Amino acid sequence: MRNFKYLQPENLKESVGALSEKSIPYSGGTDILGLLKNNIISPTELVNLKNIDDLDKIEQISNGIKIGALTKLADIAENDLVRNKFTALAQAAEQVGTPQLRNVGTLGGNIAQRPRCWYYRGDFDCLKKGGDICYAEIGQNKYHAIIGGGPCHIVHPSDTAVALLALNAKLTTLSPKGEKKIPLKDFFILPEIDQTVENILSPDEIITHIEIPFPSSNSKSGYIKSMERGAWDFAVASVAAVIDHNNGKINSGKITFGGVAPIPWHEEELDNSLKGVSLSSESLIQLSKYALKKADPLEHNEYKINLTRGLLVELLSNLVG
Amino acid sequence: MNRKIIKSKSYLYDEKIESIAEVPEKELESLPLNKDLKFIGKAIPRVDGEEKVSGTAVFTFDKTFTNIAHAKTLRSPYPFAKIMSIDISKAKKVNGVLKIITNENSPEIEWYGDYSKLFDQTVRYEGDEVAFIVAETEDIAEKALSLIEVNYKELDFVTNTLESIKDSSPKIYNKSNIPDPGGHANYSRGNYEEGIKYSDVVIEREYSTQVAIHNPLEPHCTITKWEDDELIIWDSTQAVFSVRDAIASRLKIPASKVRVIKEYMGGGFGAKLEAGKYSVMAALAAREIKRPVKVVLDRREMNLAVGNRPDSQQKITAGAKKDGTLMALGLTSHGGMGAYPAGTYVHWPLRSLYKCDNIESNEYRTFINAGRARPFRAPGHVQGTFALESILDDLAEKIEMDPLEFRKKNFTSIDQDSKLPYTSKKLMEAYDAGAKAINWNNRKPAGTIEGVIKRGLGLASQIWWGGGSPPAYATVKMNRDGSVQVLCGSQDLGTGTYTIIAQVTAEVLEIPIESINVLIGDTQATPYAPSSGGSTTAPSITPAVYDGSLQIKKKLIAGASAIMELPTDELSYSQGKISEKKNKDNFLTNSQIIRKIRERVLVATGARNQNTDKYAINTFGVQFADVEVNTLTGKVTVNKIVAAHDIGRTLNRQTLENQFHGGVMMGLGYALMEERIIDEYTGKVLTTNIHDYKMATMKDTPDIDVIIVSETDPLVSAVGVKGIGEPAMIPTPGAIANAIYNAIGVRINSLPITPDKIITALNNRG
Repeated sequence: MRNFKYLQPENLKESVGALSEKSIPYSGGTDILGLLKNNIISPTELVNLKNIDDLDKIEQISNGIKIGALTKLADIAENDLVRNKFTALAQAAEQVGTPQLRNVGTLGGNIAQRPRCWYYRGDFDCLKKGGDICYAEIGQNKYHAIIGGGPCHIVHPSDTAVALLALNAKLTTLSPKGEKKIPLKDFFILPEIDQTVENILSPDEIITHIEIPFPSSNSKSGYIKSMERGAWDFAVASVAAVIDHNNGKINSGKITFGGVAPIPWHEEELDNSLKGVSLSSESLIQLSKYALKKADPLEHNEYKINLTRGLLVELLSNLVG
Repeated sequence: MNRKIIKSKSYLYDEKIESIAEVPEKELESLPLNKDLKFIGKAIPRVDGEEKVSGTAVFTFDKTFTNIAHAKTLRSPYPFAKIMSIDISKAKKVNGVLKIITNENSPEIEWYGDYSKLFDQTVRYEGDEVAFIVAETEDIAEKALSLIEVNYKELDFVTNTLESIKDSSPKIYNKSNIPDPGGHANYSRGNYEEGIKYSDVVIEREYSTQVAIHNPLEPHCTITKWEDDELIIWDSTQAVFSVRDAIASRLKIPASKVRVIKEYMGGGFGAKLEAGKYSVMAALAAREIKRPVKVVLDRREMNLAVGNRPDSQQKITAGAKKDGTLMALGLTSHGGMGAYPAGTYVHWPLRSLYKCDNIESNEYRTFINAGRARPFRAPGHVQGTFALESILDDLAEKIEMDPLEFRKKNFTSIDQDSKLPYTSKKLMEAYDAGAKAINWNNRKPAGTIEGVIKRGLGLASQIWWGGGSPPAYATVKMNRDGSVQVLCGSQDLGTGTYTIIAQVTAEVLEIPIESINVLIGDTQATPYAPSSGGSTTAPSITPAVYDGSLQIKKKLIAGASAIMELPTDELSYSQGKISEKKNKDNFLTNSQIIRKIRERVLVATGARNQNTDKYAINTFGVQFADVEVNTLTGKVTVNKIVAAHDIGRTLNRQTLENQFHGGVMMGLGYALMEERIIDEYTGKVLTTNIHDYKMATMKDTPDIDVIIVSETDPLVSAVGVKGIGEPAMIPTPGAIANAIYNAIGVRINSLPITPDKIITALNNRG
């Protein structure tokens, strides 16, 4: 780990002013410390965001909810409003890591965290780190992308981003150039655009808030995650859904996927096929076959197609059952 | 103190271990059953519990000195390479660097037999040692490490066991990767071909088990400090005496000048049974810089370089009669040792667990360019039991017999090699108690369960040694105030050795646990006791503690007899007092006796008894698993494990349950998630942290029901205890695998049984 300067700006404006190409923002630190200690990144400055006031609040606004980017994942998972109206987000937050990680990890950090690919995190000069090849393409790719990958095959590790995408969340960001509102669907970028980053944040820009509109009053949302153990595992695959249904049929909904692509994944065609689907398990299984139809798995991860479809069936059954 | 010198025999695998030991001349009177005892068998809290939970217990990891220097090891980034040159000039200039050792300035010290050296010019796995830097701080050492320039010539490598045996594969020592001699083991009994011929049903299966890493909570660490020509080593080890002797011989100094201390330890599981290269390197450096040197391995090093449970690629053929008689078992198995010699064989359960007259086993161990295997909680048995119990379930299904009935049908009451009966084998009782606790009668035939979430039951049995042996000694010292110190050359791995020693002493001398102080893990202060491996600690040392405590009691009675002028048979000992049987008011306390006989400290050294040669000593047990499998997502939930075992006497119900919980959880992790994964194109390990190397968490913990069917095993020793550390884990993976099969009706023959394998298997079945 290279030595760095530790900057402690007192407020939002100073914080953004302190950020640059050579620095990295730091809040919960659960991802940054690993990146630093494993020499994945070597910034010369670490900018502590924890002194910024009022970015750790959950407030109801006229058309929804506004969550400060420094809000702890544990606080989100336990918040009544989030649990009642934005259940998918609460369920995603409460399945992140472990209680220790959720007690310090923040929502902004969870959205902007770096991938867990073991080549990226390990002693490999991979494409994402500026090297020439993606080792996962022909190597051990059990946990890698089945869709949207190439030339780098990471999966995006965030649980909360998958739920937020299903809930049509919008991010507010701040840089010296000013404030921006970015729909979450436009925030992440595929490796074919730029394999060295996962989102459009510039080095001097931070997420300040996450806004989510209220889903329609008769809808329900949820998040389901496959892990290889009971806790402290990133999603092998995950699904978030917001579903509006009555009289045994789905009216409309939105479904998003995690752990399958370099970005939280959304398929509009799948959402379009939701209307009119009956809630029997046969028809849900039938519906699930429309998911990830364009998947192009690598050598060791074809199972993720069935796994994700299985998660989708289980989630929808739970939501409408 | 009447002693005799005997040749002590005990068995571990094919090895008949013989050592000359001093043992009590006469057999000691066996301890009564636990119901008549005050301390033994009770759930007495650990004597070191308060220190541990308050954080005041000093583990090797915590030990420090004001002038301590810190060391880090440079390790090969390649699986196989020749070191052409090492340039340390930049590293040396870093402020705070105190010493750098490489193959260029190190004495030539052989390692891994004569296969390698402390610093070798060829590195044979990712993680092999290249240089050792001592500095003022760990950070400085790490920074300097990155400035060492090594010119490697990369060599073609092989990391896969079955690849390594091909003619075309790279050779690690310029000859066959299966060493000859020593790379092949054959065992046969009866006539295997005939057994197959007369079987009504014969099946053949292939099983694959993964490489698993010990990953104890406390990493391997050592502190070396020279005091003139005496070397003191605080080492996180399972074997203070082995480490002492290994380091003394490597440094060519007398063993009497090396003192190894280990007070508390955060787990070893077999990985800490041998001296580490880092201890020798630290000792060499400490001697030169004249300061204590501390080295702590990081998690990456733990996952690369300090051992593993090797893989196994097993092919088993099994034949049975329709009536359930097991006719023949055949095994061919390969295991990857890593880059240096290690054990990989797995055939023992197949050979000994059930009655079977015809056996043929051929095992091969092979060098691969990966970290070397070490003993790991029941070496070979965990892998072997998983495969054996899987094929037995398949066989039982073929002959339409209940798996439990099938195993009962093939019960053996004798050891089939020596033809000796067992000192105790309450496996039938364990089957019945366990089956009842898991509701075995509710088990449905495999694959008949409806619904998305399917529930299944499975079982696997266990055999292990765990009887312990001499030589093992314990010195018991009683002070004038009646308090007692017990000194024993054993060590506590976290299993409760301190506590059981105090319990045995308290039981014999009828004094409060609080008045007993136990000192173990110090080669200079204690008499010899063996390494803590093979589930032998309690059965080896507690009889010695018992003997020593009885001798103290005898001395006290003899003293009282002289003082009171009464024959010893007119005296009785109770609760630290000796009184005249006829007149209870005429008594002396222990303290009074010691004062009157003008001794300050009464001393006696107890010894472990000789093992019987008329019986085979083993532990037995069965575990039942109740699991749920989500057929949509491949998720396995273990609801419950019932562990029913014959392990002799229970010394402490709490520490016993702790060990069972740990063993079951380790078995569960091995069955469902743990796996070292290597990138085949670079030969580099991908699972170098404990996030990617997945071990079970609190949330994976099932209900664990521990049932002990034995009261004691008096033919083993007067204490009657056998070891449980390894028996607790051996059957867990097999039981879980069989329960998964029972639930979904599809057999997964490779460990770990992860969701992808279940989904793929279900998908392939259609």
